Amino acid sequence: MNWNCEQIEASLSDYLEGALTPEEAAQFVAHSGTCAQCQELVASVRGLIGAMHALEPVAAPANLMPAILNSTLGPRPTSSGWRAWFGWTRVIFQPRFAYGALTVLVTFGVVTQALGIQLRMPTVADLNPVNLYRSADRTAHLAYAKGSKFVGDLRVVYEIKSRLEPSEDETPQKTPAAAPSSTPGCSSPGRSGRSSRW
Amino acid sequence: MRRHSRRIFNLCYRFTNQRQEAEDLSQEVFMRVYKTLGSYRDMYGAFGTWVTSVTRNLLIDHYRRTRRDRLTDSMEEVTTQVESKESSGMRPDHSAAVTELGEHLQKALAKLSPDLREAVILRDLEGLDYSEIRLVLEVPEGTVKSRINRGRIELARVLTEMGIRPN
Repeated sequence: MNWNCEQIEASLSDYLEGALTPEEAAQFVAHSGTCAQCQELVASVRGLIGAMHALEPVAAPANLMPAILNSTLGPRPTSSGWRAWFGWTRVIFQPRFAYGALTVLVTFGVVTQALGIQLRMPTVADLNPVNLYRSADRTAHLAYAKGSKFVGDLRVVYEIKSRLEPSEDETPQKTPAAAPSSTPGCSSPGRSGRSSRW
Repeated sequence: MRRHSRRIFNLCYRFTNQRQEAEDLSQEVFMRVYKTLGSYRDMYGAFGTWVTSVTRNLLIDHYRRTRRDRLTDSMEEVTTQVESKESSGMRPDHSAAVTELGEHLQKALAKLSPDLREAVILRDLEGLDYSEIRLVLEVPEGTVKSRINRGRIELARVLTEMGIRPN
């Protein structure tokens, strides 16, 4: 049975959204292809949906957000007079400001030390780039030399220590063997022997 | 918050066709949401859907409250429409044409019954799917589809009567 105009109208959105079965869609197309009135209706509704989807949202008024916050959370306290001018100073009394200031001071001290700037008696020559470079270079070399000497000393200490003390994996193997031969006649020149001499 | 406020304002503006009313209603919506936040449950759907539902209820209340005022203002609206229609066709650029079409759409939407208007706004302007609209309007999905279909056809007819044909 062929569809009439009422059926076309009732299933217009389903057709435009692709929700009709193939048979229903065929019936829809068959009727709307021959009926000028339905053809016009389909075209206008299709255009309308496209136009509505392309429509930009309306910009909300700028004072909407503050108004909503005021109406829900209550009006926020506003400062006036000298409080309005010096309100920003409150940030100084926050702990994070103290941490930040301390970090800046320490960094400044380290940098000035590295650059060799005498803070007690600063001279113009201290700010000469060549002097700054030399001082930084000297400080870096000194720091490197100190570091390498420290590492070298550590290595020597570690070597001496490792010779004096048996390693942990060797101790349980040698201890039972050494226990019965603790007589003066038995002299195995192992690490345990040396350890006992020391 | 900002996203929801813009969406709610759009919904109110599309429904009422008045910026100031839409602004006042948006504030009222958030007041109501703030007061009834404790009653929100997952069964109401996503939070956005629930907020839309609150908005819709408020819009319907507002519509009923102001029905009498609108009847007295209807003659003035007709005059404004005729004036704006006469001044149309003077803007050559596309964005102006889109704005103009938006204005006509807005006026045409105001002529629909609230049931059809809210269904079309939620579907075609707010982009909600049928299941979300069913939750917002608290009617079966078949009714939602039927209202959207009738709303679109009615809107197209109103626009045709206004001499507007959207491409």
